[in-house]
Amino acid sequence: MKKFTTALFLAMCLFQWFVPAKMIYDSEIVVRDGTPYKFKTQPVDPSDPFRGKYVTLNFEANAVTLADSAGWVPGEEVYVVFTTDSAGFATAESLYREKPSSGQYLKTTVNYITPNEPFRVFFELPFDRFYLEESKASQAEQVYWTSQRDSTQVTYGLVSIGTGTAILKDLMINDTSIVEIINRLNAGDE
Amino acid sequence: MNKNFLKELPELVRAQVISEDTAKKITAYYKNKPSTSNSRLFIVFGILGALLVGMGIVLIIAHNWDTLPITAKLVIGFVPLFIGQAVCGYLILKGSDSKSWQEGCATFLFFAVAISISIVSQVYNIEGNFGQFLLLWMALAIPIVYVLRSSMASLLFICGITWHACEVAYFNSQGYAVWYWVLLIAILPFYYLEFFRRDNKNNFFYFHSWLLTTSVTVCLGVFIDNHGELLMIAYLSLFSAFVILSELKAFATNRVLSNAYLVVGSLGIMVLLLTLSFDWYWNELSGTSFEGVASGVEFPVAASLSCVAGVLLFIHLRTTHFTDVNSKSFAFILFIVLFFIGLSSPTAAQLLVNVIILVFAVSTIRSGAKQNHLGILNYGLLIITALILCRFFDTDLSFVIRGLLFIAVGAGFFAANFYMIQQRKKTE
Repeated sequence: MKKFTTALFLAMCLFQWFVPAKMIYDSEIVVRDGTPYKFKTQPVDPSDPFRGKYVTLNFEANAVTLADSAGWVPGEEVYVVFTTDSAGFATAESLYREKPSSGQYLKTTVNYITPNEPFRVFFELPFDRFYLEESKASQAEQVYWTSQRDSTQVTYGLVSIGTGTAILKDLMINDTSIVEIINRLNAGDE
Repeated sequence: MNKNFLKELPELVRAQVISEDTAKKITAYYKNKPSTSNSRLFIVFGILGALLVGMGIVLIIAHNWDTLPITAKLVIGFVPLFIGQAVCGYLILKGSDSKSWQEGCATFLFFAVAISISIVSQVYNIEGNFGQFLLLWMALAIPIVYVLRSSMASLLFICGITWHACEVAYFNSQGYAVWYWVLLIAILPFYYLEFFRRDNKNNFFYFHSWLLTTSVTVCLGVFIDNHGELLMIAYLSLFSAFVILSELKAFATNRVLSNAYLVVGSLGIMVLLLTLSFDWYWNELSGTSFEGVASGVEFPVAASLSCVAGVLLFIHLRTTHFTDVNSKSFAFILFIVLFFIGLSSPTAAQLLVNVIILVFAVSTIRSGAKQNHLGILNYGLLIITALILCRFFDTDLSFVIRGLLFIAVGAGFFAANFYMIQQRKKTE
C-alpha cells in the first residue's frame, strides 16, 4: 500500500512540475523562434487575485475582411497568418481552417462575422493581458491616456508569434517599454 | 468530562459498584488515551496556518516584482511547490498518520500549485481568463486529495470548481461549464471512500455535505438557455433527491439542522414552490408547446435529474412505508404533473401549487408533532405563514380577510407550541 501511495505521489509531483514546465518551454520557444509583430492597442487596468495587476489590451488587428463569409461561424477554430502594414504594424492577412504547412501562424477562435458585405471575420487575440508590478498598473494606464492625447505617440504590444501560439513580450509607447517609461517617471519624481 | 468521571471512581469503589482493580484500569485507560479535542485543535490550527501562509505567498507573488530577472522570478515561484512536495513526500515515506500534518501540508501544497502556474502566466503574459486559470489549478490539485487523503484539499477543490463554473457560465457566459461536472464526478469517489466506506461521520463529512449540496444547487443554473421553465423541473428533482438521500441511513445525522441534504433540499423545494405560487411562471409557460421547450439543453438535464430522483425514491420506498417517507420527496413528481397541466391551463396549475404548499406545511407540522420536535413543527407553520404572505401581494382578498388569516396563523403558532410543550411536560 505504501509503495502504491509513494508511486502515486511521485506521479502527482511529476504532473505538477510537468504542466508549468511545459508552459515555460512553449513560451520560451515562441519568444526565441517566433516572429515579432507590433499590435496597435488600447490598455485598461483590472486585477487578478492570483496573478496580480495587469493591463487588458484591445488590439486593432483582430479581423480580416473577406469577399464572401466562407461559412465561418462564431466559436470555430481558425489559423490566422499575420503580415505587417506599411507603418510596420501587424495586420491579419488570411484565415485558414487547416494548419498552414509552413511559416508562423496563430491558432485561435472566430468571435463573430458581420452579416453584410464586405464580410469582416473577427477573431480572438489570446494575448490580451500584460502583467505589471501592482503600483505600476494604474500608472501605465495614466501614461497611456496621456500619450493618447498626443497624436504623435503610438501604443502597441510587442508580440512574438510562433506555430500556433503567441507571447506578449512587452507593451510599448513610441518604441519604449511602458515599464521603462514608468521607471523613468518615478526616478524623475524622486 | 473524563476528569469528572474519574472523580466519581472512589465513590463507586466504596459502594462496591466496581472493584478497586477496575477503577485503576479505568484511570490508566483515560491517562493513556490521546485527547481528541487536542488533536482536533492541532488539525484546525495546522490547516489555518497553511491556508494563511499559502494565501500570503500568493499575494506576494501577485505583486509582480518586475525588478527581478525572469529566471529569479520563476525559481522563487517554484520554491513553495518544491517545499510542499518535499514535506508531503516525507510524510508519505515516513508513513505518518498525523492528520494535522497531513491536512496542513496538503493545504499548503494546494496553494503552492496555484503559485507555480501564476508565476509562469505572469512572466510570459500567458492569456487565459480567471476561469481557465482555476480549471488548470484544480486539474493539477485533484491528485493531492487522493494521494494525501486530505479532506481540506477536497473542500478547497469543491470551492475551486464552483468558482470556475461561476466564472465560466455566469460571469462570462461561456457555455455550460462542462469541466465543472467532470471534476465534480472526479471528487465523489473520495467523498464515498473517506466518509461512507469507513462510516466516518466527522466534521469534514458535514462540511463536504454542505459544500456539495450548495455547489450543485448554484451550478445547476448554468444550464439556463432559452427554455428556463424546464429548469424548474431539474431543480425540484435535485431538491427532492436531496430530501430522499437525507432519509437514507448512510446520510442520516444526529441533528436535523446538521443534515445538509435535508435542509438544502427541503428549503429549496419550499422556496421554489412559493415562487411558483405567483403567476409569472405559468403565464410564460402557457404560451409555449412541450415540443418547443423539449428542444433545449434544459430537457435532457431535467429528464436525467428526474430519473435519478425517481430511482432514489424507488429504492427508498422498498425499505420504508409510503406514509413514513418525507412528503417533500414527492415534490418532483407532483411538479411534473403540474407542469403538463400548466401548458394548457396555467390558472389551475397555479392554484394547485398553493394546495401542494398547504399539504406540505400540514405534513411538516404533523411530522414535528409526531417526532415531538418544536423546530420541525414551527417550520411547517412558517411555510403556511410564507404562503399567506405571498398571497398578501397578489390577490384581491379584502383587508379584513387577510387580517383574520394572519391572526388565525398566529393563534395556530401559539396553540401548536403550547400543546407540544404541555405534552412534553406530561411525558417528563
